[in-house]
Order: sequence, then structure tokens, then C-alpha cells
Amino acid sequence: MTVQTERPPARPTEDTQRADGGPHPRGARRRPAALAPYLLLLPAVVATLLLLGWPLVKNGMLSFQNLNMRQLIQHLTEWNGVDNYTEVLGSSDFWRVTGRSLLFTATNVVLIMVLGTLTGLLLARLGRRMRVTLLIALVLAWAMPVIAATTVYQWLFAQRYGVVNWLLDRAGFHSMADYNWTGDQLSTFFVITVLIVWQSIPFVAINLYAATTTIPKELYEAAALDGAGAWQGFTSVTLPFLRPFLYATTFLEVIWVFKAFAQVFAINQGGPDRLTEILPVYAYIEGIGNQHFGMGSAIALLTIVILLAMTSLHLRIVLKQGEDEL
Amino acid sequence: MNRSLLGRIWPNATAVVLVVLCVFPVYWMFATAFKPTPDIVAEDPVFFPTDITFEHFETAVNAENFLTLVGNSLTVTVLAVLFSLVLALAGSFALARMRFKGRRGFVVGFMIAQMAPWEVMVIAIYMIVRDADMLNSLVPLTLFYMVMVLPFTMLTLRGFVAAVPRELEESAMVDGCTRPQAFVRVILPLLAPGLMSTSLFGFITAWNEFPLVLVLNKQAEAQTLPLWLSQFQSQFGDDWGATMAASSLFAIPVLVLFVFLQRKAVSGLTDGAVKG
Amino acid sequence: MKRKLIAAIGVVGMLAGVAACGSGDDGDAKTGADGFKGQTLTVWAMDGSTPDGWTKDVTAAFEKKTGAKLKFEVQQWNGIQQKLTTALSEANPPDVFEIGNTHTPAYAETGGLADLTDLKKEIGADWTESLNESSVVDGRQYAAPWYFANRVVIYNKSVFKEAGVTAPPKTRDEFFKALDAIKAKGKAEPVYLPGQNWYFFDGLLIGKGADLVKKDGDKWVSNLADPKVGEAMALYKKYADYSKAPKDKDEATPQQADVFAKGKTGAFFGMGWEAATAIKANPAIEKEIGYFTIPGDTADKPEGVFLGGSNLAVAEGSEKKELAKEFLKIALSDTFEGQLAKEGGVIPNKDALQDQLAGNAAAEAAAPAAKVGGTTPLIPEWAAVENAPSPIKAYMTAFLNGKSHAEAAAQVEGEFNKRLAQKQ
Repeated sequence: MTVQTERPPARPTEDTQRADGGPHPRGARRRPAALAPYLLLLPAVVATLLLLGWPLVKNGMLSFQNLNMRQLIQHLTEWNGVDNYTEVLGSSDFWRVTGRSLLFTATNVVLIMVLGTLTGLLLARLGRRMRVTLLIALVLAWAMPVIAATTVYQWLFAQRYGVVNWLLDRAGFHSMADYNWTGDQLSTFFVITVLIVWQSIPFVAINLYAATTTIPKELYEAAALDGAGAWQGFTSVTLPFLRPFLYATTFLEVIWVFKAFAQVFAINQGGPDRLTEILPVYAYIEGIGNQHFGMGSAIALLTIVILLAMTSLHLRIVLKQGEDEL
Repeated sequence: MNRSLLGRIWPNATAVVLVVLCVFPVYWMFATAFKPTPDIVAEDPVFFPTDITFEHFETAVNAENFLTLVGNSLTVTVLAVLFSLVLALAGSFALARMRFKGRRGFVVGFMIAQMAPWEVMVIAIYMIVRDADMLNSLVPLTLFYMVMVLPFTMLTLRGFVAAVPRELEESAMVDGCTRPQAFVRVILPLLAPGLMSTSLFGFITAWNEFPLVLVLNKQAEAQTLPLWLSQFQSQFGDDWGATMAASSLFAIPVLVLFVFLQRKAVSGLTDGAVKG
Repeated sequence: MKRKLIAAIGVVGMLAGVAACGSGDDGDAKTGADGFKGQTLTVWAMDGSTPDGWTKDVTAAFEKKTGAKLKFEVQQWNGIQQKLTTALSEANPPDVFEIGNTHTPAYAETGGLADLTDLKKEIGADWTESLNESSVVDGRQYAAPWYFANRVVIYNKSVFKEAGVTAPPKTRDEFFKALDAIKAKGKAEPVYLPGQNWYFFDGLLIGKGADLVKKDGDKWVSNLADPKVGEAMALYKKYADYSKAPKDKDEATPQQADVFAKGKTGAFFGMGWEAATAIKANPAIEKEIGYFTIPGDTADKPEGVFLGGSNLAVAEGSEKKELAKEFLKIALSDTFEGQLAKEGGVIPNKDALQDQLAGNAAAEAAAPAAKVGGTTPLIPEWAAVENAPSPIKAYMTAFLNGKSHAEAAAQVEGEFNKRLAQKQ
């Protein structure tokens, strides 16, 4: 399982080869098929516009309506201008939740990327048998259904019948025997973070491992000839080679962690006292849970805007890349 | 010498710790499914069930319409994954191999599409489907799941297509293949790992989807397994045993597919790179 | 013709008057026994509401009488609100559906529920007044009371006996003495009560005569700061202090009956049928289980209880409203209402049928308290307050964690009022 990379792993060698390869034959064939790329993209674009674009537009329209149970049931359209937006943007809750979401995403993504990368590099160092064992273990964690994972975690960290408290108690931390993990904001976030990191590491680690296997051995040999030690080999060969991959993976993890609704909601419904609500949970509680659908739509759109802002750097890099990158 | 021994031990020791951390929650799910209820809610956790029971599996499997839901889930998931693969293959080839105006715009467009907060767009989607009179049908479900996984599939496959050395394709064309022929004969086989990894991702996403099917398909005949999975948790209490048994069953197709495909995906990728 | 049919089935004679029911307010749907042929009535019942025998018999009677088919669709709790709201907006909503009494006023306000005022006149003269309250909004009847249940003390006889308590406590003081004795014995947890068993708390509020909301001008606002609420909560804490249960969880996680089933718990506050969950988890517990009414100040005045209940409503969007009413007449008839009470151990919608509970130990323990039972505030705005995350549960946890009543109430009142003020 690999993520898209702006410069896929096998590229560097390829680029060198091509640079030496003289004029490219492909220009000649392009003209007759000028429409071809558009035709090839057409089905996917149409599907996306129809099945994602349309709901987004609809969602946008709903965000300017007063849409609650009554209006939904009776098919009433009550426009209320920008009321939903003024209410959301004017509430301190929203901004607190947004700040919390950013912090939450940053923490988790950093943890996931660092631990995932280390695990991936570890995979590359292991002997075959141990590597396969670890790969299977990672895959098991990854494939566990979210609802099962959240239930199991809820219960591993349960105050009274939880395995974690039991283990801590046995290990000598008797004050932890009845520790209430969901009792305050930080410890709840701790449990959620453990869950999310646990679920996300396999993706990063396996991909990273797959990417390292594509690093040509010659590069290391050349580096060794230049007198590079293990650490320099890592910084001068491995890291540059993996950089595009790391960018792309980080981009994906930012999106996924930011949108992590199921995990956060299941562990403690955004509690205690709404202190662990992140944006999608907030949108859900205000919009769907409270059946204030217009309000929910407005928060959903704001969520997209914030996500766009967060990833704009990456998107800009992609947009700015020269055509010759390809 | 000390150092090299240490150098050999720590990676394996770390790996063992990681294996335990990764597997334990999964193990706990399976183990719990076989425990009698008094062992599930226990002051001292029962790590190895000695007293094995199948009652939780019976509860799970005997739920109403279980088999219908299995069929629906498989249909919807497999079709959504297949469709998205076909659309993404065509598109990713264009994005990775062709030069045309607006190419980067398309790439960024799909990246943005990946950000869609589907859970909170449920009501908008619901109203569209309701007004189109398509409720209680597997068709909208399949289509929406397809689009949910399409951006990821598209962008990932694009990376894989780009990774196939251009020379391979060109030499095939020199040998008299047309471009489509070259694609099918040369590129497609090399894309196998990419196809597998993206289909796994798609499978998990569609297989787990809950909020949309909850409101779109209220008739039991048109529902899918996530609804079945959630029924063992009610406001009167969670039947942990049954939830874990159902989760275990629910995870099995994914696990099997995963373990089977993952080996191919990883080794296939490595092979491809070596050949390139 | 219809008359004959009804007479033949022997359903309550008074139903015969129904023949003239074709009021024509539902468009082209035909009425009369033949008119319903070929139609199918869809009924949504919640998981656990419809005992098998009752379902079978009602279906048979309905199909025999109307010639139409009856389809029960059992609904799961997870996500039921979104499901119901969206379903009511559809062209083919469920014709009849079960709806919780605390939710009925909110849904009545949405226009999704058909007006059943005429049905009430026809068959509801003897419905228990207090049970019917939730179905009436602005003088109109939007649902029919179906069945009710309230919490009792489910206790472990041998744990009580070991601590020297041989007879079930009759007053609150006796109950606390019994709990002290069990505690002193040190072998079992006297009572299992997590911090957020909010419906048990609501019962204590009812017992103290405390109101959760009050009118401020034409708006409803929180009355949580009322000292009476604090008294009820102090009483709750007194019970909870006997328990090691988590302070920020409700009775569902872990399922309290599963905890009780292990035999190391003296008692818990639950619905009669939760005993079945315990027995399923540990069959050996069956002979130990006993029930008694939650005791109050004196033996003749039990503790207040929350009367949880379900109403049956007809969707305004249904094209088969007349058929739906036929169903209600059958399902709520003395025969079947009685059967439901007997089979399900639930409180029926009229006093005359209370005798069906005889022999059901749990229901017999529940019945005395039902008379002093109450509900949550029956206003359309209420449903939003109970949506997760519930400010009341937050209040309970804050109090149990050591905050004073005033502090805990102040902490959640903003949220509470916001929920009450939500646009409808």
C-alpha cells in the first residue's frame, strides 16, 4: 500500500537516465491525441462533480437555511441568510474547537510520522522472519474495524475493568488502579491519541518500508566510497530519497487525523464537558445530533475551509511544480 | 563486539514490543468473542480464555437478515472498489503520462476532493437521494462509496504509473504496440501492487461506512453490515461479547484480503523497482 | 359485513362502532375490510419492545380483521433519531412507529405525527391520564400511550442474607442500613450505581418535587440551580458512594446487569427485564435475584421514579392512516395491551389491566412506584437537552467529583439554556 508521491520512488534513477537519453519521442505523438487526456479523465471528473460536487453545493445551500426537524419533515425551505455563519463564527466555542483541532492534528501527525517512519526503517533492518511477523502484526492492527477498535480501546482504558489500569496496578503504580482515563481533557486525548496513532502507524510504516526497498543499493555504495558513515548514509541517501514520499504521506495523515470523527466520538463523545470535541465532532453534535442541519452544513463548509488552509502549502507546491517535473 | 551484539538485539527486541502492541487489541477482540460474559467483565482480566463459548457468535449470526446484509455489503464494496479502480486507472494514466493544460489543476482538484467531510455532509446527500427517489437502493450507496475512495485511488495510482519507467512502454511501442496495447501489456502488470493497495484502502472505507447507509437505506433488505455491527450496542447497555464476536466476523474478510494482498503488494513493489 | 367480521373474531365489542370510520382525510385510501386488501402496514418497533407471542397474535388478529398485511420492522437504537426524522420526511414513512414519551412532544411539534384526537375519543377514554400526558400537545392527541416501565431495585438475595438482611427494605432508611451492613461485611459491593444513571436521578428529582426547567417570560430556562435539585443529587451521591462504579459513565458501559451477574454486587437500579441480561450472562444468578420497589421516606410512599415509556404514533405522511388506526385499535385493545403487559412485564396504558402483572415479581415491584412516577419535562424543547453530550449528566459527574451543587449547576447551565433555546 503506497501513497501518491509527487516524485515517486523509482524516479531519481529514471530522471538521470532520461537526461542522458536525448530527444524524447513522445512529443511527436501528442498532437493527434490532444483530447486523449481529457477523455481519460472525463469519467472520474464527471463522477466526482456529480457525486461530490453536487452534495457540496447542496450542503452550501443548506448552510444558508434554517433547517431543523420540522423543516426537513415538511420539506420547508426557510432561508435565513448568513445567520448560521454569524452564529457559528460568533461563538467562542467554535474558535476554541478550531484551535484544539489544529493542535490535536499537529500532535497526532507528528507522532504518527515519527513513529511510523522509525517503524518503517526498522522493518528494513530486520531479518526476513521477524520482518514478516511485524508486517502481519501491522496489517492486523490496520484492518481492525474502527467500531471494534474503538470499543476495545474504550474498554482497555476503562476505569474499573480495564486492562491498562490492571497492568499499571500490577506494575506497582497502585494509584492508577482506579484511574479514570476519560475524567479529564488531557487523559482523554491521551487515549484517543494512542488509538489513532496505533491505527495509523501501519500505513506509514509499511509504505515507508516499501519505499526504502526501492532505493538503489549503488547509492549507498557510492556514499560509502565517499567515506560516509551510517548516519551520513541515512541523511545523504535515505532521507532525500524518501522526502517526496514523506510529504505526500504527511498530507494524507493531516487530512485523516483532522477528520477523525469516529475515534474521538466513540471514546468519550467529545467529553468530559465537551473538552475533547474537535471540528468534525462539533459539526456532528451541533448539526446531526441536535438535528440542526443548516447549522451543521455551515460548520461542515467551514471545516473544509480550515482544512484547505492547513494543506494550502502542500497544494501550492503541487500547483507550482514545473511541467518538466513530469 | 558488544556493540554489534547489541546492534543485532535491539531491532528484534523493538520489533517484538511493536508486534505485541499492534496485536494485543486485535487479540483482545478475538479472545473476548469466545469468553463467557462473566469472564468479559472481570476484576482480573482473563487473558487466555479457558472456558470457550460460541454463544456470542450465535447471537451475532442469528441477527435478522444477516445473510442479506453480508450480500449487500459485498456487492456494494466490491463494485465501488472496481468502479473506482477503472475510473482512476484511466485518469491516473493521463495525469502521470500526458502533458496537457490544467493537469496540475486536476491533481489539486482530486487532493481537495480527498478532504470532503462525508460524515457531516450526510444530510445534503440524503436530501439529494431522497428527492431523486433512490432511497433503499444499493445504487446510490455504491456510487457514493466509489467517489469516497476515488481521489485516493487516483492519486496513488498516478504515483505507481509514474514509477513505471517510460522506456518500457516506449520499447513496446517500438515493437509495434499501440499505446493502449502497451498500457495493457506493459504498464498494467507492473501496477499490480498499486491496484492491490488502493483496492484494499477502498475496501476498508466502503466496508466500514455507517452514517450514510443509516439514513439512506432504512429497509432491512437494503442495509449493510456496519448497521448489524452497531446493533449490539444499545442505550440499555453494550453487549460486549456479541460486539466483539460480530467485529471479529466483520474483520475477517478485510484481514484475509489484507494478509493475502499485502504480501503481494510489498513484494510486487520491490520486484517492480528492481526490474525498473 | 365489517360488523360481522369483528363479531366473529370476538375482539372487544365496543370496536364495532368503528365501521363508520371512513372520514376520508387520507385521500384515496379505501376503508372497510375489503378496501385494505393487498395493502401492507409497516410498523417500526424498537429492539426489545415486542415480545414474540404478542407480535404473532397481533399480526394474526390484524390480518384477519383488515385483510391487509402487517410488517413489523425492529429498529436498533443506534442513530434512531436521524433515522426517524429522515424517515418522516419521505414519501413512504413507516405508517406506525414507536416513539419514546420524552421525545413525543418534540416530534409532535414537527408536523410529522398525525392527529389522533378522534382515535383518543374512540378508544382512549380509560387511558391512564398521567401516561397519556406526553402525547398531548396544545390539546391535540399526537400519539397513543403504549407501555411504560420504571426502575426497581434488583438485588442479590444471598448477598443481602449474608449481611443479615432477610426482608427487603421498606423505607429508605432501612435500605441504607442494609447497604451499610453489606459494606461492613466487606464481601460485596453494596450497590452498583455509575455516576450518570440519569433516569434514576430523574426519579429522585420527581421524589423531591424538583423541576428541571422553569418558565422565564415565554421561554423555558434551566432550573438546575434550584436547591431541591441539589437535594436530589445529594441523595444520589449517598447511593453512589456505596459503589465503585465510574462517575462519568452511565449504566450501559459496562452494562450494569453484567456486573451484577458476577454475584459480587448487592443491588442495582434497573428495569425488571435487565434481570434477564444478568441471567443470560450467568445462569446461576437466577435463583438469587429478587426485586423490590425503590423505597422512599415511608413504607407507603415509594421513591419517585422516571416513568419511561413508549407511545405509538402514526406518520402524517402515511397514505394508510385509516389502516394505521385499525392497527392501533387492535394493538391497544384490552386483549393485546393486557397480553403485552403480561408477556413483557411492562405497565399497561390503563389501570384496569394492572392485574395482568400478577405473578411477575419485577413488575409487581415496579407497580407501586408507578403511581408516584413522573417524566422529564413534557415540552418540545426538552428532547434537545438529552442529546449527547447531556448537560445533566455533566452536572451529575461534576457533583460526584466534589463540586458543590451551585458550582456544578453553574458549570452546565449555559449549555442547558442553549439547548432549550434552540430554534425549532
